Amino acid sequence: MKLRFAPATFSVTFCCAYVAAFAMNWPLFLYYPLHGDWSFGPQIVKGIGPAMAWYGLMVDAGAVAAVAAFCVPDRTVKAIFRNYLWLFPCVAIGACVLLLRHFFA
Amino acid sequence: MVIFLLILHALVGVALLGALTHQVASSLRGRSVRSGSFVDRYIGVTQKTFTPAVVMLYLAGLLLGATIYPSYRLEVRIPFEEMSLGWAVGLFEMKEHFAGIGLGLLPLYASLWSQNSDSIDHRNRIAITLVLACIVWWAFIVGHILNNIRGLS
Repeated sequence: MKLRFAPATFSVTFCCAYVAAFAMNWPLFLYYPLHGDWSFGPQIVKGIGPAMAWYGLMVDAGAVAAVAAFCVPDRTVKAIFRNYLWLFPCVAIGACVLLLRHFFA
Repeated sequence: MVIFLLILHALVGVALLGALTHQVASSLRGRSVRSGSFVDRYIGVTQKTFTPAVVMLYLAGLLLGATIYPSYRLEVRIPFEEMSLGWAVGLFEMKEHFAGIGLGLLPLYASLWSQNSDSIDHRNRIAITLVLACIVWWAFIVGHILNNIRGLS
């Protein structure tokens, strides 16, 4: 069997996985820039400075999307969502705004 | 070094902004009109030729942003929090998450521009390009505002 990368599947899955990981606070790892430390999982290690989750969220979404892109062909995704591919990033952006609303309260 | 990378990040952003805005404007207009006006010349471009440049510039911009992000976290965000500028932190958080979503869109964007497509794909192509352009414009403006409030040192 030949593996083929499915770009539409990747992008759709990436948007969903990114928002899910962000909403559930599931970064694969955290980075602590003060001393360049790392920790696995979302649990913040105290005493080593501020933590950054973005890299972990990106790896989460990228990994899930990459697996999906090699397992689910584009024609499957397009058969269901062909008219609405553009909706996924729009909803993902809207969800991020919603999740960040506490900064503006 | 961080200042150099920040300036490079901004310059890549300018180039990306130009390429995407050009492509979006041209796509929204549809077929090009042959006349001598500035607007017609601006939008009368071969839209597909921008795609590899947009992908490369987006990746370069994101990589540079990810490189200087730790400096922002320590030197800018903490003072923002001390100054009770929660909205500024929120704006940057949006920039960061939008940019991440934009990265995920690149394969679809490149794929839609690489094929001769029907009307539905054409609509998706314009919409995805427009979303990417909005993300880049947002990132550029927010980056500029935050740098004006407190830049990296």
